[in-house]
Amino acid sequence: MTSAELVRLESVTRTVVLPDESDLHILTGVDLTVREGDHIGIVGRSGTGKSTLLNLLGLLDKPTSGTLTWQGRDTARLKAREAARIRGRDLGFVFQQFNLLPGRTALENVMAPLMYASGREFWQRRRLAWETLERVGLADRVDSMPQTLSGGEQQRVAIARALVRSPRVVLADEPTGALDVETGQQVMSLLDAATLESGAALITITHDTNVAAMAREHFRLEGGRLHALAGVPA
Amino acid sequence: MSQRLDRAATGFVAAVVEAWQELRIHKLRVLLSLVGVMIAVASLTAAMAAAAIAKQVVTEQYEHDGRPALLGVWAHPMGEGVPPLPEVVRPAFFTAAEKLDIRYASMTSSMGIVTSHAGLERQAEIRIVDPAYATLHRVVPSRGRWLEEADAQNMSPAVVVGERLLRKLGLAGADLPVTIELGGTIPVTATVVGATPKGFSGSTVFMLADAYQHWFGADQPLMDAQYELWVPPKRARQLSAEARRVIAAELPGYQVDVSRMDYLAYGDEDPLREVAIVVSVIGGVILLLGALSLLNVALVTIQQRVREVGIRRSFGATTGRVFFSVLMESVVATVVAGAVGVMLAVALISNPWVAKRLIDHVDDVPAFPFEAALLGLAVSVGVGALTGVIPALVAARVKIVDAIRF
Ligand SMILES: Nc1ncnc2c1ncn2[C@@H]1O[C@H](COP(=O)(O)OP(=O)(O)O)[C@@H](O)[C@H]1O
Ligand SMILES: [Mg+2]
Repeated sequence: MTSAELVRLESVTRTVVLPDESDLHILTGVDLTVREGDHIGIVGRSGTGKSTLLNLLGLLDKPTSGTLTWQGRDTARLKAREAARIRGRDLGFVFQQFNLLPGRTALENVMAPLMYASGREFWQRRRLAWETLERVGLADRVDSMPQTLSGGEQQRVAIARALVRSPRVVLADEPTGALDVETGQQVMSLLDAATLESGAALITITHDTNVAAMAREHFRLEGGRLHALAGVPA
Repeated sequence: MSQRLDRAATGFVAAVVEAWQELRIHKLRVLLSLVGVMIAVASLTAAMAAAAIAKQVVTEQYEHDGRPALLGVWAHPMGEGVPPLPEVVRPAFFTAAEKLDIRYASMTSSMGIVTSHAGLERQAEIRIVDPAYATLHRVVPSRGRWLEEADAQNMSPAVVVGERLLRKLGLAGADLPVTIELGGTIPVTATVVGATPKGFSGSTVFMLADAYQHWFGADQPLMDAQYELWVPPKRARQLSAEARRVIAAELPGYQVDVSRMDYLAYGDEDPLREVAIVVSVIGGVILLLGALSLLNVALVTIQQRVREVGIRRSFGATTGRVFFSVLMESVVATVVAGAVGVMLAVALISNPWVAKRLIDHVDDVPAFPFEAALLGLAVSVGVGALTGVIPALVAARVKIVDAIRF
C-alpha cells in the first residue's frame, strides 16, 4: 500500500485559553497520517477533543504546536485564502447537527459549496448538485426545505453537499449522533460506499461502535493522544 | 491571468446570487428595514426633482425680465427739455446693432390703453416692441403665434395679448385670431394673433413699434423708450462698451448709456442655490435616519447568522467572499428599495394634481428631471454600501471553529 499521503500530523497539540485565563490542553501530542482512500474511525468519550482534532484535520483551526502538513506542505505557513481554497476543493465536512443552511432548499444547500468554485463547477452548479442529490437517493426532495426533511434525509443532503466537489478527504463528526440506530446505519453505509467509490479518504468520529466498525483503521482519543487500536473498538 | 479573471467574475456573480437568496429568506425584515430607505430615497429624489423643476420654472420667470446677457440702452439728448424721440433714436439703434452684428435687438416702451370687446372694457398696458422681443424675454405664446416683421403692414394691427386680459374681455379660450378694440375716443380694431400664458404679463397687449406709430403715433406719441440687445454672456462686457460707442456715433448730441440688465448681471450667482442646499440637507437627514435603522437591523441579524457564516467558511468561503456577500446583500436590498423610491417620486412629481400645486402657473406637467432619478439610485447604492460595511466586517471576522461549535 503506497497510496498518496494527504494529511500528516506530527506531535500536534492544541491548547485553548479559557475565559478565566487558564490553559486547557485538549490535544497533547497527536500523530496521524491520512492517505488516499483511508477509512479511519476515531472513538473517544465526550469532551476528549475529537471535534478539536477534526477541525485541525479540516484546516478550520491551527495546531498550537507540532506540524500539520497537507500534501506535504506545512500548513503553518498557509495563507487564509489558500486554506479556504483547499477546504472548498479537497475537503468535505459532515456534522452531527447537519448544519444545513436554513431557508434554502436541499438543492440550494448542495449548490452552496459550488458558489466558491469557478469555471465549469460554478456555472454548472445546478446540474452537479442535482446529480449528487440523486446519488444519495433524494432526487424527489430537491426543492424541499431542510425543516421539512427527516433527520436521515437532512444528513443525506449534508453528505451530498460534502461530496459535490469530489473532495479527497471527507471529515464526519459524529454523523449519526442525531439519528436513530437504523437510520444512522443507513446514512453511514451511504457515506462509506460513496467515499469508497470516489476514492476519497473518510475520517469518522463516533462513539457508536457499530459505526466505528465500518472503518478500516481504528483509533481511540484519550488523554489528548491518539491510540491505534488493533481491531474494532469494544 | 484568465483564471483570476474567471475567479473574480464567478465570485461576483455568486455573491449577488447569495445576497439575493438571503434577502428572499428574510423577506419581512428586509421589507421593514427598507421602508425607511425607500421613503428617504423617494423624498430626496422628489425634493431634488421639485427643486430642479422649480429652478427651471423660476429661471424662465427670471428670463422674462431678460435672458442673459441682455444689454439695456438709454439715449437722451444733451439739451434741456428735448424728448428722446423714438422716431429718431430707433433707426439709429438698429443701424448700430447691424454694425455690431447683433441679430437680436428690440425697442421696448409701454403706455396705458383701454381695451374692449363686445361691451366689456378693461384698462391695460400696451407694450410696444420689435419681433426680437420674444427671444430677448423668452415669450412663448400659449396659443397662436408671436408678432412678425410683416405684421406691421397689416390692415388691422396685430397684437399678442395676455390670457388673463382675454378672459376679462370674455375671450377665454376663444379661437384665434379674434378682434378687440384698442383706445378710447376713436377705437382701433386690432387682431389678436397670439396669447401669452397666464403667469406671464397677463394683462399686457404687445404690438409692433411700426404698427403703433402708424395707428397711435399721432394721438399718443411715445415719449421715451428703452432699447435692448441680446448678446453672448461671455462678450457682454466688451460689447456693451462697443455698443455705447457705436450708438453714440449714430446719435450726435445724445448721451448714451449701456448696461447689462438680466438677472445674472451681477456675476453668475445662482439665485436658487440656497433653496437647493436646504433641500439637500433635509433629504440628507432623512436618509441618515433611514440608513441608521437599516444598519441597526443589519447588525442584529448578522449575530444570528454567525453560524451560517461558519458553515460557509467550512466549505471554502474566504473572508473576502463573506465580506463581499454581506455587503452585496445590503446593496442589492437598498438598490431595490431605492428603485421603488425613485418610482414613487416620479409618480408623485409627475402627477398633474401635485405638479399644479407645486409650481404656480404651470400649464403642463414638466418632465421628471433625469438627474434627480439618477441621484436617487446613486444614493441608494451609497447607503447600501455604507450600511453594509459594518455587518460585513462583523461577518468576515467570524472564527469558524467558534461559529460551528455547538
Ligand atoms: N475554543 C474553545 N474554548 C474553550 N474550550 C474549548 C474550546 N474548544 C474546545 N473546548 C473544550 O475542549 C474540550 C474538547 O472539546 P471537543 O473537541 O469539542 O470534544 P469532543 O468533540 O470530543 O466532545 C471540551 O471540554 C470543550 O469544552
Ligand atoms: Mg464533538
